[in-house]
Amino acid sequence: MHRSTINTARRTATFLLLLGWGLLPLGWATGLAAQEPPTDGQQSSGLEGGVDPTIVVDERGRVQVRMAFPAAKIDAGLTGDYLEAAREIEQTLRDDLDQTIVFNTQGPTELAVLALTGERSQDFDQYKSLGNQVVLLASIAVEGDRLVLDGWAYDLPSKQSILGKRFRGTLGQARLVAHYMADALHYQFTARPGLSLTTIAFQSDRDDGHQELYLMDYDGHNQRRISAHKSTSGYSDWSPAGDALAYMSYWAGPPGLYYVELASGKKRPIYREGTLTLSPSFAPDGQRLAFGHSRESNVDIYVCDRVCTDPKRLTRSQAIDTNPAWSPDGRQLAFTSSRSGRPNIYVMDLDGSNVRRISFEGDYNEGASWKPDGSQIAYASRRGSRFRIAVTNLVDLETKLLTEGPASYEEPCFSPDGGRILFSLRRGKESQIYVMNADGSDWRQLTHEGNSSGADWSSFKQK
Amino acid sequence: MKIDRKWIVMAALLAFVLAPACAKKEPEVIPPPPPVTEKAPLTDVEPDTAPAGPVDPVEKKPEMSLQEAQASFEGQGLLGDVFYDFDKYDLRADARERLAKNADFMKSAEGSAYTFTIEGHCDERGTNEYNIALGQSRSTTAMDYIASLGVSRGRFKTISYGEERPFCNDSNEGCWQKNRRARFVITGRS
Repeated sequence: MHRSTINTARRTATFLLLLGWGLLPLGWATGLAAQEPPTDGQQSSGLEGGVDPTIVVDERGRVQVRMAFPAAKIDAGLTGDYLEAAREIEQTLRDDLDQTIVFNTQGPTELAVLALTGERSQDFDQYKSLGNQVVLLASIAVEGDRLVLDGWAYDLPSKQSILGKRFRGTLGQARLVAHYMADALHYQFTARPGLSLTTIAFQSDRDDGHQELYLMDYDGHNQRRISAHKSTSGYSDWSPAGDALAYMSYWAGPPGLYYVELASGKKRPIYREGTLTLSPSFAPDGQRLAFGHSRESNVDIYVCDRVCTDPKRLTRSQAIDTNPAWSPDGRQLAFTSSRSGRPNIYVMDLDGSNVRRISFEGDYNEGASWKPDGSQIAYASRRGSRFRIAVTNLVDLETKLLTEGPASYEEPCFSPDGGRILFSLRRGKESQIYVMNADGSDWRQLTHEGNSSGADWSSFKQK
Repeated sequence: MKIDRKWIVMAALLAFVLAPACAKKEPEVIPPPPPVTEKAPLTDVEPDTAPAGPVDPVEKKPEMSLQEAQASFEGQGLLGDVFYDFDKYDLRADARERLAKNADFMKSAEGSAYTFTIEGHCDERGTNEYNIALGQSRSTTAMDYIASLGVSRGRFKTISYGEERPFCNDSNEGCWQKNRRARFVITGRS
């Protein structure tokens, strides 16, 4: 363990980033009604520069902040929907902080042992006595028709302020307001955005039995359908900018690739020649797309540019080569091939050369997802009659299994920070989407209706 | 009043003539993202024209519907499904026998009147995405074999449904075997 501090440049960057968000139209990305930016992320008044917080970085380089978060002060005048929304803001903020490994938070229950006096300096000492490094004080009030969340973080050893933020939003934006505060805190302590403003795309048959495209917030809330093809549609991949999805659909007969622009909901074909095109994967620059494609033959990997009139074939084996995943550095593709007799994960360069196999355990390995730092690939690995989520380290090809249980665990997808993994839990024909930490801990079920699968996590860039 | 009517006609004509020209000169404006309501837009702007599916010629009134023809030929054993081993798409001996019978039928006076789609199917094991690719390989091997027996490729299409359209819904090998198939479906008249 070593101690580290956040420098001034980082604080400045935080402020500029938040300022930037305030200028962007936000409502569409999150599916919440918004005629104007719901949140402004302004620095709350009374913050005098602040100090560098005391932060502990663990042996794996992860920031760990022990934070006291006493009950938020909810304006006593709030009633009805506004009171309910205020409570939702507080609970959502607690859930957000709970879901990152950065914050180890003590809430009102843990803090109840303290005999707080209301005198700030004495109370800070008490929070500190329970091992906390930081305290987060939140208050929620109403300004016109908008809820206002103020959050102040103080460094307990020095009793100086670290962060002060104010976010505003309508009743329907309660969760979004909390997500913004959580993200601001995450950024303050790690200089990176958190997951609380990201979105997950998936497919579900919940409405009328057809697999259609859906979106949900990173925590499983706000699930909404975005296609009505009335035919199997899904296996989507986020554009790196976070403004669109590429996906497969049987909409026009032979399965082909389509593009949906999320702001307008407009859809257009990308490529649907031949008999089958599936499993799109965007290059990190968003300018190229890799996919599986068949012309009355076994599926092979192809790559095309944005226009996609003349895809280039990359694999020429007699076997099935499909389900490509572009590496985070843009230089390689992971894919599934049956060239060894069984499906296994391979990696190749972009010209189709330098093909090497990376999965050697289990008898069926499929569905590669790169960790965003490029160090690992997750996939479904069959052991016995069921799949488990496996992660292979690309340096030494060491493989770890992350899931164990009576179901089948498939379709892993890393979060943009590499800290979490989405997967589908299948029992026979039933399928639901779960999320867990990248070490296999802290499972949470995200979908409950119908059958859901094919989850793909957006990048950070969609704000 | 006369003048009014004349003006209206003139204006309408002008508008009619000029509108397209004006519209073309308008710079392309990317509309701002519309406010999104809590409900996602469910009315899709569908992709442009879909390729037309198989269409029945209707000059002669067909004696049997395609479905009736399918059921009849299957019932007589003239047309049948081809089955595969788990995770495999190569043809077993029983599959070759079945495909030879299907080919004979397709070349017969009765069978040559139709075009076909060969559907590739998989059982529920295996991942969804890989099964779609596997189903394609199954329908392709079946088609290649039929073509090698002298049936024109022009009379076939292939499509894979992966594990999406099972014929049997239990989770046991008897059922899974039924789902690992290439199905010959009459989809038109030649």
